[in-house]
Amino acid sequence: MTLRVAVTGLGVIAPLGNSLEELFSSLRAGRSGIRALPAPCSETPGSSVGATVETPTCARIPETRLRMLDRVSYLALVAAVQAVEDSGIEFERENRERCGVAVGTGMGGAATTDDGYHTLYAERSDRIKPFTVIAAMTNAAAAWIGLEYALTGANLTYSTACSSSAVAVGEAAAKIRAGEADVMIAGGAEAPLTRGVLRAWDAMRTLAHPDKSDPGTSCRPFSMTRSGLVLGEGAAFLVLESWEHARRRGARIHAALSGYGLATDVAHITRPTVLGQTRAMRAALQSAGLSPDDIDYINAHGTATLQNDAVETSAIKEVFGERAYRIPISSTKSMHGHLLGAAGALELLICIGSLQRGWVPPTMHLDRPDPACDLDYVAGAARAVIPLRIALSNSFAFGGTNAVLAVEKV
Amino acid sequence: MSTLETLQNILVKEFKRSPEQLRPEATLADVGIDSLDLVDLIFKIEDQFGLKVKDDVPRSLVTIADVATYIDQLLANKAAEPATVAATNRPP
Repeated sequence: MTLRVAVTGLGVIAPLGNSLEELFSSLRAGRSGIRALPAPCSETPGSSVGATVETPTCARIPETRLRMLDRVSYLALVAAVQAVEDSGIEFERENRERCGVAVGTGMGGAATTDDGYHTLYAERSDRIKPFTVIAAMTNAAAAWIGLEYALTGANLTYSTACSSSAVAVGEAAAKIRAGEADVMIAGGAEAPLTRGVLRAWDAMRTLAHPDKSDPGTSCRPFSMTRSGLVLGEGAAFLVLESWEHARRRGARIHAALSGYGLATDVAHITRPTVLGQTRAMRAALQSAGLSPDDIDYINAHGTATLQNDAVETSAIKEVFGERAYRIPISSTKSMHGHLLGAAGALELLICIGSLQRGWVPPTMHLDRPDPACDLDYVAGAARAVIPLRIALSNSFAFGGTNAVLAVEKV
Repeated sequence: MSTLETLQNILVKEFKRSPEQLRPEATLADVGIDSLDLVDLIFKIEDQFGLKVKDDVPRSLVTIADVATYIDQLLANKAAEPATVAATNRPP
């Protein structure tokens, strides 16, 4: 039995736009959402750029609630509301015990944690805001979404660093396939652009050297000149339903989520392995009942770190053989940055939107390809692809949790 | 500005309540302040009035007027405090 779950709703709040339409018009144009950050974030070169979201408004969220929400929960809630509205589902008519939420986030309420520590350690205050725990707890975003729609089924948060939301979506789909749920709101959110988080990532020497003359070009996946990732904020959500459930209520089905593969690296806490990534891609194909020949597009993890891009290239060659050279592959992180826990869901949305539109987004800022990265990365401009029926989305993580999702056009 | 007015201001500015709701006899429940919000309200009151609430908040706080009276009590206790401190700190 394959994992075939209906995707009936999509919602996105991202550096490239606060709707799927805006996102795709930016991807089409190769626009960058990466920009220079103001002080105090700009105090070191690595922490001086980030992919920012224009803070959205949402009539559904009462103003009285805002003071309890960290930015990560707010972005999550707005994107989830968008996905639910897009799906047309009316939860009042559903058995809500069979409806749930699955969210992926790496850092949770990072701004709240940062603020709390600042108050305590820098301002030497002896008091911290009473809502610090509620706002900072990693499962806050999932909880608020569940509360919003009174969903009494599973309410889950997955934190596997950069694969968090790919895992959340995959596990939510698995729950539906197992008959444990009819509907899941699944996705991810991240709001890491705080001074403390940026500096921590910079200390690992993983952040890109910013391009001073054009900060938007700082993230250069698969390029000789790549120097690391650029952190981004945002949220992306899907409404997933069992195929029968979606059909019964006459829902419009955007795509079929057909594959989910999971494999863990155990070589090192951060260093990726070809074997782990290969196993995850193969597992996704297997769970979808697909062969390597079926894949028309890959949205790469493509972080623009020295290690990842070369290892991912090797892993794709290992899985797809000669065909690897003929599959269009892009790293959209070159434009929207690395949304950490939200990256997998955002990039899956990009795969689905690409299947619907018949073209795939480019990898930008790839003027000088690294010889170790010699596949077709759709450099510089979006491209129409025929046929474009099935796509893979790769998400690999610190800690070693590799997750790959497969989606099919319907 | 009276204690009551300052309290009403906090509820408008920080808790986004509409001023018309905030009659002195309105209960906290009427204006949607639950036990969790009350913890946050006390935090804001501490800031605004330069107070420190060490003890548990009395359960007898039902209306907005009750909270204002409670704040006045705390302010009165605080005004009485320095004398006590001075007394205990007096060298033997």
